[in-house]
Amino acid sequence: MSSKWKDFRLYVITGVNYHPGRSLMTVMEQTLQGGADIIQLRAKDMTKREVLAQAYALRKLTRHYDVPLIINDHIDIALAVDADGVHLGQDDLPLAEARRILGADRIIGISTHSIEQALRAERDGADYIGVGPVFPTGTKPGRQAVTTSYVQEAAQRIRIPFVAIGGITTSNVNEVLAAGAARICAVSAIVGSDDPAHECRSFLQAIHASDQSKPGQVDLKQIRVNGRAEQTSARHVTELVQQLGLEGKRIVVELNGQILARDAWGEAEIENGATLEMVHFVGGG
Amino acid sequence: MHNDDQWKDRYSRQTRFTPIGQAGQDRLREAAILIVGCGALGASLAQHMVRAGVGTVRLADRDYVEPSNLQRQMLFDEEDALAALPKAVAASNKLRRINSDVNIEPHVVDVTARNAAKLTKGIMLVLDGTDNVQTRLALSDCCFQSGIPLLYGGIAGSQGMSATLIPGETACLRCLIGGAEEGEAGETCETIGVISPIVDWIAALQAAEALKWLTGSRDALRRTWLSADLWPFQLFESNLPKPSVSCSYCSRSAVSMLTIRKMAKRKQRWDSTRGSDTVINGSAAEGSREESRGAERSREADLPSEVAHPTDDSKAAAHLGESIERDSPIRTAMLCGRDTVQVSMGRTIDLSMAEQYMAAHGLLVTSNPYLVRVQVQEGERLVLFPDGRILVQGTQDTSLAAALCDRYVQGIEEAAITANRLNRAGGQERS
Repeated sequence: MSSKWKDFRLYVITGVNYHPGRSLMTVMEQTLQGGADIIQLRAKDMTKREVLAQAYALRKLTRHYDVPLIINDHIDIALAVDADGVHLGQDDLPLAEARRILGADRIIGISTHSIEQALRAERDGADYIGVGPVFPTGTKPGRQAVTTSYVQEAAQRIRIPFVAIGGITTSNVNEVLAAGAARICAVSAIVGSDDPAHECRSFLQAIHASDQSKPGQVDLKQIRVNGRAEQTSARHVTELVQQLGLEGKRIVVELNGQILARDAWGEAEIENGATLEMVHFVGGG
Repeated sequence: MHNDDQWKDRYSRQTRFTPIGQAGQDRLREAAILIVGCGALGASLAQHMVRAGVGTVRLADRDYVEPSNLQRQMLFDEEDALAALPKAVAASNKLRRINSDVNIEPHVVDVTARNAAKLTKGIMLVLDGTDNVQTRLALSDCCFQSGIPLLYGGIAGSQGMSATLIPGETACLRCLIGGAEEGEAGETCETIGVISPIVDWIAALQAAEALKWLTGSRDALRRTWLSADLWPFQLFESNLPKPSVSCSYCSRSAVSMLTIRKMAKRKQRWDSTRGSDTVINGSAAEGSREESRGAERSREADLPSEVAHPTDDSKAAAHLGESIERDSPIRTAMLCGRDTVQVSMGRTIDLSMAEQYMAAHGLLVTSNPYLVRVQVQEGERLVLFPDGRILVQGTQDTSLAAALCDRYVQGIEEAAITANRLNRAGGQERS
């Protein structure tokens, strides 16, 4: 699939227990009308047949709105209904196994609760990660909140899309956005509200308002690192090396065809369109 | 030395190559190089240099031949591994059979900041065949302090890198990859394996630059950092930075006029063999034609051959991974990825005494004239070298290794004292 899905800003996860008396399809269609741009089916206490039925229905609905559908945990169901991807927790099937089954084109997202888990998921080839729970949440009772400091860390060091999740509501979303999140995920705050479409619009308003107040984001430079397109706010090579999590590594850095001595990293400005190679030193003989 | 007519064509294919010619060949014969590390890269480099007819090839290596080396280390065979010969010795044996005209100097020694200056004495070019960052940094420091070019090469997996580092012209290795403060060792053959083609590929790049430098084709030098991966074939080359302004090794002020003059002098000496008027760093090469290489050779004569002993240079720089035990001259160094600690006792070891002592304690001992290997009761294997180094295999615990060596070496020394006393007593009885 194309990488258009990466532009998502508001990620909504299903939670039928939050809207008794209203059908899953009604509520989810309202979120789509409100602007949710990626949907995850999460159904923990249901039989596989029930999940499969919901997945088919949601697939039809999300296709209609041209929004990606992600299935929580069940790789087989994702394949059966031709969902766009899966979302896995830390204790689910390892990423490499999931990738082998799903192939390169399907989206794989991973829940992470620390920067170490995030970096590992990124290294192992996750397409996006969940960062949370930012605040204590009823969806994941008993899990310690990671607070906005982890959001900040992720914003600095993670290059793949990350979505902040866990206890986020319209009244605390600004804190999360200020910490550097560009994508927000909510469950109860949206599907549990009387007007999910309105709730979605409120979230999106906050997200877009935050974009305006973050001039740095608009200024992200397009660069190439080892042949891959990247975006960065780094001013110089030292900052970029930090952002890429390569601090303390024995690497040789080339900027625009010229190797840099290490003491020149701090002065070597990164401009839009810069091409970098970062080569790990090879020490055998 | 061959003088027969039969050997007159020995270098004919090399001299027919115009950029080298007979003049280049004469320069090679006058050249003296040091190859540090005689494993995969080092053996391949040595083979190139010896076949090409470089006058003096000094080899330094701290290790001995093991079966796991044979897959890629071209100068060694099964007999060498069975005999556990030191790599420098096994390599020299082969190299002398390849070209008996070359003066080959094997040194079974760990090259450190302490002894690098001594080992590079009289040397025009250092070829890097080491397997670790620490030795490379020590070499880079020493080369930049003495104005000797260093041909870096490194390999691991199917990847390799190489660069020609020239004092006064390029930054030093420390400025490129970071000094001892960077924790990472870089990938090594022990951590990710290695395939033999990358060895020869990188060694060939280094050897080509060595030939250019030694025959005076400076304009032809590849002035880049080249890295390659032979498996998903990828090649990447970029320009090397100039000396760093603030570096205490490679900045232009650090590479003093003295060392630049030294380089010019050496260069002039080779040039004199073909009357060229090469200019180095803008200043005409100085020195007189009368000062022959022979004179310099004789000054090198104080360097011990076969087995060099590390000297206690007062300027011993901090050596990454090496800790100095208090109240004791014992030093230890982890050999990365090898489950081995190298312990330097700071005093020589009597190998025959060591062998007797270990055997008398019922331990399984194997030995050759260069080393003694013993399986100790504690489970580790000790490899003792006469220069006072002991490889403790089967541990990564430096203090445990130091304690183990201390115990056994003390035992050996006490046994030696007792044996001496008995000998003397025996002598008195007989008289």
